[in-house]
Amino acid sequence: MTISNDASGRAVKDFLAEAEEIIDQLSLDLVALSDCADSGDCNPEIINSIFRGAHSLKGLAGMFGFGTISDLAHNLENLLDSLRLGKIPLNHSTVTVLFDSMELLGALVRSSGDGDDEKLDISEVLSRINACMTVPVKTGGGSPLESLGIPSGMLNALTEYEEHRLLENIRKGKRLYCVHASFSLATFDSDLGELTDTLKNTGEVISTLPSAGGNLDAGIDFDLLYGTDLAPSELRGMLDHEGVEINPLGSDQPLPLLQQEMFESPVQPGQQGEEAGLTAKSMSRTVRVDIGKLDELMNIVGELVLSHSTIAGLTMKLRSEGFSPIAVDLAKAAKGLERRLSDLQKGVMEIRMIPVGQLFDKMTRIVRKISREQEKKVDLRLFGADTELDKLIVEDISDPLMHIIRNAVDHGIEPSEERIRLGKNEKGTISLSSYQKGNHVVIEVEDDGRGIDLKKVKQKALKKGLIQSVDGLSDREAMEIIFLPGFSTADQISEVSGRGVGMDVVKNNIAALSGMVDVESEPGKGCRVIITLPITLAIMKALIIACAGRTYAIPITSILETLAVDKRDLLTIERREVMQLREATLPLVRLDAFFDLQRPQQETDEFYVVVVGVAEKKLGLIVDNLTGQQDIVIKSLGDTLKGVRGVSGAADLGDQRTILVLDVGGIVGEATRGML
Amino acid sequence: MKRILITEDSTTMRSLLVSTIDSMESFDIVEAANGFDALRLLPRERIDLIITDINMPDINGLELISYIRNNPQYREIPLFIISTEGSEKDKEKGIALGANEYLVKPFKPEHLQELIRKYIG
Repeated sequence: MTISNDASGRAVKDFLAEAEEIIDQLSLDLVALSDCADSGDCNPEIINSIFRGAHSLKGLAGMFGFGTISDLAHNLENLLDSLRLGKIPLNHSTVTVLFDSMELLGALVRSSGDGDDEKLDISEVLSRINACMTVPVKTGGGSPLESLGIPSGMLNALTEYEEHRLLENIRKGKRLYCVHASFSLATFDSDLGELTDTLKNTGEVISTLPSAGGNLDAGIDFDLLYGTDLAPSELRGMLDHEGVEINPLGSDQPLPLLQQEMFESPVQPGQQGEEAGLTAKSMSRTVRVDIGKLDELMNIVGELVLSHSTIAGLTMKLRSEGFSPIAVDLAKAAKGLERRLSDLQKGVMEIRMIPVGQLFDKMTRIVRKISREQEKKVDLRLFGADTELDKLIVEDISDPLMHIIRNAVDHGIEPSEERIRLGKNEKGTISLSSYQKGNHVVIEVEDDGRGIDLKKVKQKALKKGLIQSVDGLSDREAMEIIFLPGFSTADQISEVSGRGVGMDVVKNNIAALSGMVDVESEPGKGCRVIITLPITLAIMKALIIACAGRTYAIPITSILETLAVDKRDLLTIERREVMQLREATLPLVRLDAFFDLQRPQQETDEFYVVVVGVAEKKLGLIVDNLTGQQDIVIKSLGDTLKGVRGVSGAADLGDQRTILVLDVGGIVGEATRGML
Repeated sequence: MKRILITEDSTTMRSLLVSTIDSMESFDIVEAANGFDALRLLPRERIDLIITDINMPDINGLELISYIRNNPQYREIPLFIISTEGSEKDKEKGIALGANEYLVKPFKPEHLQELIRKYIG
């Protein structure tokens, strides 16, 4: 029996969260490993970090009774152990096996969330892992460690891996040192960290042994086993720390190189300083919180904001009924409350924000995987990875973004031979960038591939009966066709997400986040997909409007301006209502017509136009009245009403009234596609 | 009450160990998320039993054991290694350095409880 039998569901949840964290870190390290596998110059710490991750995962999964995960992690660990001990060479096919194993591990962990990790078959990956392990490299014979003068206490505490690293250093003819340092107990971790970082710039710290000696209650000593090219005088010059002692081991000449054939170990130390950040450092200063709890907190903040509005309203009323010192004090108190509330709101909002870099890391993996599969050469460039976005949005945008990226590699980037023939760089480029634009975050995916051939798009749409004729279809309208349901076909089943998705699904997923997606393309030159998203969905300022006796909220983030308009300002072009707005023609949509609302009385000649814009598109919404601005907390309509067009959710106005929030992206989308 | 120091970098594994020991209702527990934390805690707390993992970042379990066994103040404290099945060499070294017991994950909670009782019960 393992602990899993009586472990509570919560412990399993913790396991899954930690497992996912481990896999994320592993994947990150794998990307780094894949980069250096080409050059053959790898930081051994990367492989060791991956090994440690697989090792932890195996132990954890075993404790919780997830046999398949444990089994796969165990085999992976064996492979990584052989790699880090230099028993097998690091090459491209090994990296591919590692990537695939990691994907499978991720899938297993995810399916364990549903209580079953037995669904997926690991036998194929296992046999590939085993195949990798049958290619040993030549290694040298016995080790001359005892003759080096390394203190026996130090030698006895070396793990098998550290012993291997020591031998590697000897093989390379490095000089070995024992660096002895004394630190205060209060600051030893940062002091040691500093010393280690300095040392790593010019060599490898093979082992860090805390040692007895000195005053145990106030200080602690460390012996660091260090391999480097530096001569003792150079090393002494570099380490100008108080309390640091340098003892050369063996002779103070560089150790003679062992025989040349021993050099075939593919993993080499180097660039330690730069890549030190890649180690799986624990996140001791972070707290893992269920996003549901933050939602709850945000809801409470939202309710508080509403309560405050009520108090503020009452205060105003009190003051309007006559000046009294209490009314003034109350107004002051209400103002103070408002300020603190806004701080609280901001604070809770910030907790939800995470850098899109996490998303980018995932995309990097995907690009590598697909380009390897398709044998295409792709250079992925990332910009603005530190742009912050609501955690839920980051999660929900992951699948659509994955699909767009996959399209870029699959259909955009041409094979190398074709690129060379076209006079392009043999390596394709995909840029993934993110930046903030007002209350929105824009994510762009740009490739320098073959672009979208609108002629072909039109033909295909005609053939599939999605459009009746191509006459008068502008390029912009033609580009919209790719977002129509039924345009993407089943031959695009995505292996990454495991189901066939078309751009219509991508568009709907993004619209569900109150976002917009645009495509720009120049045939032969490339394609750019622009996703515009709100920074957060949790709480937002909205304009409350009235139309045909109903009240609606429009998120302020999508409003460009509001205009008081007379009926005579309206024009009709091609049976669509438009108006002239500063030299440009603004298409209009009557909200009552959109929702098919019955008017209790005849409409007046004067009304308001709310100009909304999402991405590059503008639209004027004709409404009867503007009621005011208010903070609203958007609540979902539930599964039954989820698909209602033009509505993204509901909000409570604080006076017992619940109103609908307009899905501006959806309405603008329908209008631009000419469906209205 | 006797006090047990747990050194383990996996939070999930650590809380499993804590709940296993907690259910015995007879011991205090001190947790260290890595070797550094353990080094800091040792002089501050009176520890009666140490449980440590081997594979940890910064300083590993073997280095920690070597430190403990070379210090007159801590030399006599019973010490268990709890590690995922791994290098035989590392296991042998751990025992040679002075670990009293070696448990392989996954292990039975009752087995750990039995061992704890045997040493400090």
